[in-house]
Amino acid sequence: MAHLPEDARHRLRDVALKAGAVVCGVADAAAFEKHAPAGHRPADFLPGARAVIVVGGAAPRAGDWQASPWVLQTMGTTERIQGVGRRLAQYVEAEFGYYALYLPPGTESGSNPFVSLMLAAELAGLGSRSLAGPVLNREHGFLYWSAVATTAPLPVDGPEDEGACPAPACRQMWERERTTPCLSVCPIDGGGCLGGELVNGRPVRHSYDRDRCATRVHTHWIGGFQQVLEATLNEPDREKRKMMLYGDYFTRTLWALTYSSTNMAQCFECLRVCPAAHGLRPLE
Amino acid sequence: MFVLDPEIYRRYRDQVLALCNSFQRIGQRGFSDREIAERLGLEERVVTEIRCVAERDMYGLDEWQRAIEFKRRVSREWQAAALKRPDLKEPPKPPEP
Repeated sequence: MAHLPEDARHRLRDVALKAGAVVCGVADAAAFEKHAPAGHRPADFLPGARAVIVVGGAAPRAGDWQASPWVLQTMGTTERIQGVGRRLAQYVEAEFGYYALYLPPGTESGSNPFVSLMLAAELAGLGSRSLAGPVLNREHGFLYWSAVATTAPLPVDGPEDEGACPAPACRQMWERERTTPCLSVCPIDGGGCLGGELVNGRPVRHSYDRDRCATRVHTHWIGGFQQVLEATLNEPDREKRKMMLYGDYFTRTLWALTYSSTNMAQCFECLRVCPAAHGLRPLE
Repeated sequence: MFVLDPEIYRRYRDQVLALCNSFQRIGQRGFSDREIAERLGLEERVVTEIRCVAERDMYGLDEWQRAIEFKRRVSREWQAAALKRPDLKEPPKPPEP
């Protein structure tokens, strides 16, 4: 068995932060068993996995949050943090002599992930679930995540005790109006995606409509493409078919698909209004 | 290519959607395709197909158009409030011709 240097964690963190991550933690691979179904745990992809290294970063800039959804979606940030994950996997194998597998960030089938990167971030103590859905880091707010499973016996972190959600402003709003900024902007009872409440100061999400959320987050993406394709095939009028295929919606969708992941996420409205999502430092 | 029997899809769609992650709660995960298959007495491959088709089939094209209108409206409302620029708010819709 390879010898793991005592400062392995420290070195990994250094490499991650130099590569562009803002946070780095390690989750116990066995901890996934309690939360994730079989087939979606790190050891299902890397037999013998003991730890999962998780990095977060590439958050939207303060200027991005001010922009329209059509500008915000062109940040291309997921790619940047994915590169950090790939680099860490290479580093673990080259420097420590243990297997390391970059956990794929895409979907295994339909909307289901291979491994939940948000769960990995939670188990690595880097953040916790918000009412809006994404895992928020207490210092940096909303981040993108990347994870590497490894057989290296790294010391692990545990989930954090207190999350960034709800922010103090949201607690006050809840006391006053029985809603929060995210629930108010996208309410499930009003044609949106989110339903929940604060119980003893903690977020309890009652419902989240993932498929409606997909129409907003992936407005110009694979689902919309399939919808237009079906509608076009069913449309008997040739002129109308032309309007559907050459129109703005389908053209934008094709641009998004061919730009690949720089246009993956296209709705940020629940996080735009979230006081905990934008990090700590205010700008003028 | 495995093509799902539309009758099987119609029969099980709602049950699969209710059991998977389409509607989520904090601290209560949805079931995997394998787990759903065990509950409904179906093959895992059949459940995967039902779920994938149902995810796409849940909302029609109108909902995708509404998504565009939603994002435009709420982002402009937020900008108007955050930047203290009421002029950035979505203008009222013109009357129908």
